[in-house]
Order: sequence, then C-alpha cells, then structure tokens
Amino acid sequence: MTASSLESGSRGAGNKVGTRNVLAKIWQQDGPGYMFLLPWLIGFFGLTVGPMVTSLYLSFTDFDLLTDPNWVGASNYVRMFTADPKFAAAMRVTFFFVIFSVPLKLAFALLVAMLLNRGLRGLPLYRAIFYLPSLLGTSVAIAILWRQLFAGDGLVNQFLANFGIDGPSWISNPRYSLWTLIVLSVWQFGSPMIIFLAGLRQIPQDMYEAASLDGASKFRQFYKITLPLLTPVVFFNAIVQTIEAFKSFTPAFVISGGTGAPINSTLFYTLYLYQEAFGFFRMGYASALAWFLLAMIAAFTAFSFLTSKYWVHYDD
Amino acid sequence: MTTEAHNLTVVGTESSKSRRRIISIVSHVILVGASILMLYPLLWMLASTFRPENEIFTSSSLWPSSFSIDSYIRGWNGLRVSFGTFFLNSFIISIVSVIGNVFACSLAAYAFARLEFRGRKFWFALMLMTLMLPYHVTLIPQYVLFLQLGWVDTFLPLLVPKFLAVDAFFIFLMVQFFRGIPRELDEAAMMDGCSAWRIYYKVMLPLSMPVLATAAIFTFLWTWDDFLGPLIYLNDMRSYTVQLGLRTFVDSTGESDFGGMLAMSVLTIVPVFVFFLFFQRLLIEGIATTGMKR
Repeated sequence: MTASSLESGSRGAGNKVGTRNVLAKIWQQDGPGYMFLLPWLIGFFGLTVGPMVTSLYLSFTDFDLLTDPNWVGASNYVRMFTADPKFAAAMRVTFFFVIFSVPLKLAFALLVAMLLNRGLRGLPLYRAIFYLPSLLGTSVAIAILWRQLFAGDGLVNQFLANFGIDGPSWISNPRYSLWTLIVLSVWQFGSPMIIFLAGLRQIPQDMYEAASLDGASKFRQFYKITLPLLTPVVFFNAIVQTIEAFKSFTPAFVISGGTGAPINSTLFYTLYLYQEAFGFFRMGYASALAWFLLAMIAAFTAFSFLTSKYWVHYDD
Repeated sequence: MTTEAHNLTVVGTESSKSRRRIISIVSHVILVGASILMLYPLLWMLASTFRPENEIFTSSSLWPSSFSIDSYIRGWNGLRVSFGTFFLNSFIISIVSVIGNVFACSLAAYAFARLEFRGRKFWFALMLMTLMLPYHVTLIPQYVLFLQLGWVDTFLPLLVPKFLAVDAFFIFLMVQFFRGIPRELDEAAMMDGCSAWRIYYKVMLPLSMPVLATAAIFTFLWTWDDFLGPLIYLNDMRSYTVQLGLRTFVDSTGESDFGGMLAMSVLTIVPVFVFFLFFQRLLIEGIATTGMKR
C-alpha cells in the first residue's frame, strides 16, 4: 500500500514534471514568436476582428449611439436598395468617379512613364515633379486649392478668359463638379507612374531590337511587347487605384463643405457613410453601408483575379 | 554583298541618330510642358499668399506686383485658436505615430520573417487579408469603443492603434525587407547565445535602417495628411490638427479671407515638401518596390 501510494505519488510528480516540461518546451518553441506578435495580435482582435463582427451585427440593427441596438433583420439592406435615393446617388457618383478617374489616371501614368523610359536626360527631375502631386494630393490644402482653381472667378476661368471663353463655376455646377474631382485624381498620376517605370525597366531591351530588325513598327512593338509584358503591373495598379477611388473621401468632403453638394453630385459613397454615421448617428444603417462597400471591393478584387488569367501575362 | 549591307546599316544608323535626336527634343518639350501644367497650380498658390488680398482673384501670373506677408499673419490668427496650436498637435500626433508604427510593426515583422512558431503561416495569411480591408467596416465599433473608454477628444484613438500595428501594410513592407537579410547573421548571433530580443534589436534593426526610414517617413506623411480620424475623434478646437484647422478656416472665414486661407494651406504643405526634398529617393524606391498607393 505504502509502496503503491508512493509509486502513484511519484508517478503524479512525474506527470507534473512532464506537463511542466511540455509547457516549457512549448514556451521555448512558440513563446518568443507570440511575444513579438503580441501587440499585433491585440490590435488584430481588439481593433479589427472584434469591430468587424460588431459592425456586421450592428448592420442588422437600428443602433443610434444613444439607445441600445434593436434587431431589425435585413431592413437596412432592403432600405438601401429600395427606399434611399441618396444611396442611389452616392452609388452613381462613386461608380462614375471610379470608371473615369482610374483608367484616365493609369493612361497618363503609363504614357508619361514610357516617355521617361527612353533614356532621356533629367529623368530624376521629371520623375520628382510628376510625383509631387501624388504626395500632396489627399491633404486638405490641395482640396482648398482645387476649390479655388475651379471657382467661378478661379484660375481656370481666368485662363479661359484669355481666349474669350466665359467658363462656368465648375465647382458649383452639378454637371461639372464631379469632373473637377476626376481631374484632381488624374493630376495625382505620379505613384502609378513610378510603378510603371519600374515595370518598364524589367523589359529586356533586346526584345525591341529583335522586333525592329523584323520591321515591327513602334505601335506594334507597344501592342506586342510592352503591353503584354506590363500586364502584371497594369493589373496591380488597376486594383490598388480602384480600391483607393472607392474609398476617396477628403477632397469631396472639403470641396463640397461636407455635403456632397451641389445636388449630391459629389456625394461619394464614403462621404454618405460619414454623414449617416456621424451626422445623423444612424450607426446601424452606416454599418450596413460599410459592409456593402466591403462586399463591392471584395467582388471587384475577386473578379479581377478570376479574369486575370485571360489577360495578365505571367513569365513563368 | 557584305559591303552593301554594311553601307546600308551605316546610312540606317545616321538617319536613326538624327531621328532619335528629334524624338528626344519632342519628348523634352512635352515633358517640360506637362511639368509646368502640373506645377502651375502649386506655384500659383504660393505666389497668391504674398499678394495683397484684392489681387488674388485678378491675377493669374506667378509674380506678385507687390510683396506682403500679411496673409500669413492674418491666417495664423484667423481662428479662435492660433495655427501654432494646430501645428504642435499635428507634430505630436505624427511623431508619436511614427514611433508606435515602427516599433510595433517591426516586432510583428520580425516574428513573421524569422521566428519559428506554430501558427505562423496562419497569422501571416490573416495579416495579409487585412491589407485589403476598407477601414469603414471597423470605424463605427472602434468609435463606440473609444467613446466608452472616454478617449474621444484626446489623441489616444489616433495613437494607440499605431502601437498595436493596425496598419498591416508596414508589417508587410518590413517582412519583405527582413527576408532579404542573410540568415547567417542572426544564426551566428543565436549560436553565441543571443536571445530573440537581442537579435531583433542588435542585429535586425541596425541592418534595416532603409526600410525603417521608409516606414517612418510614410507614417509621418500619412498621419500628417489624415483627415477622417481627427475629424471623428477631435471636437475641441484646441486639440485640432492642421488639417482640421484648415477645414474650419474654409467653413468660417474662407470666403472672406482667401489670402489667409491659402497662406495656411501652404504652411501645412511645407513639412510634406521638406520630406519630399530630403527623402525623395527613399520615397520613390519605396513606391517602386512595394507599389504604394500614394
């Protein structure tokens, strides 16, 4: 009896030592990694995953910040598509902006990158000048400048007056107001241009030499060599710029004084979301708007990746 | 036969030489024109701030007929709180953000790039997924959280997330760089009995100055330009950043004091411009290698 109890006692102690050993081993193996990861893990769960789940839940409620949220089913989403003309306006404005600003911006970026890639002198200077607007672009100061440029008595109209053209007030005319923001976005073609330049550098020069020996015109060389080899970069730039365009906020906010005026013509999706959340405190509805934005971006990205195998050329 | 071919190529190179020269001249003309077009608005804004108020709307030239800094003096004190306070707030927020971001992101990046632990690939994949996430889906619950913590109208909602490496883009940037550092270096240190922590700050960080600098610069610039965050969390004018101050200027006195508004706009751009002048190479390399959005 004493022997067996002693034995079991020692076995128990053995187990304890065993688990302690296992724990120590786990700690030795995984501990440092998780210690280094700790700040990110806290942020990931506390500020990303937790809020995401909460916001998904709130999108099915009538949360207004002051009273407890009540479950309202899918009615926020139903309202978006059936009973909210401002949502429809915001969708129109945002899609119009994306469809025109992104291709124009990328076209300019590629055009200038190709000009710069000809081994011209002064490349660093040109590159810096074209990049500067990209760097300044989203600040309030530039939005203020834009408001002035395209005002009724602004710089653009002073310039047009030299040719006897009496320009409208671009900013306050709903027909043109969104275009001023598209121009602002295209003006910032610098960063995709730099990425294009890096991509163009990767294309081996002897391909062009071989093509011109075979008598291929510059135009044909562009279509048959440059563009196909550059498609991975085009693909990348298109995705990044489209997502950025969907999320565009500051210029429209500053130029329209936070309203999306005139007549909702600059009511960007994110601006509408901001109004609903922090202007009217319809936090439940705004959460639904946020999740629909995520769905649109995810759908666009998935669609791009799925179609990419038909038009993006990969070397390997 | 061979001489004929030879002659042909000689003629070819000569005509292509002059053609090339014409093309290069045309390219320069186009690029100079485009540069002027791109920079004109900025130069005009700068010139306008030194003009007497009545001249701003009547002159599209770059050279003011008379030179005055009245706009700056009026603008600086154009609001209830002076722009000095806004600049101080912006600098505090930006600099603390840089420290937080570089520290927290480099810790996580070191774990992902160098340490062996179970679940590493899983967490890394989740981190990459957050890169695409529009912040709008976390915005409202984060606001509610910070409101309940009593942090609204303090800088904490803007700063604490930086110390928790929420901006995953910079983790990704650093992981890419860390992977390029020869493993022999930290393996040798490990043989010598260095802990992971010591390797991190004695070996990895000193070797990673370029990427840390890039991350620091972009964090500073993005925080400096951030508008939505301060707009949501800062209500008291004494805690405004320069971006909020400018926006308030537009709403209150913008229509009457245009010179002051433009002068303050120029001042808020100055720090960004200084970074551009000094760190242009790092900025451009950063974009070219990682494909940053701005």
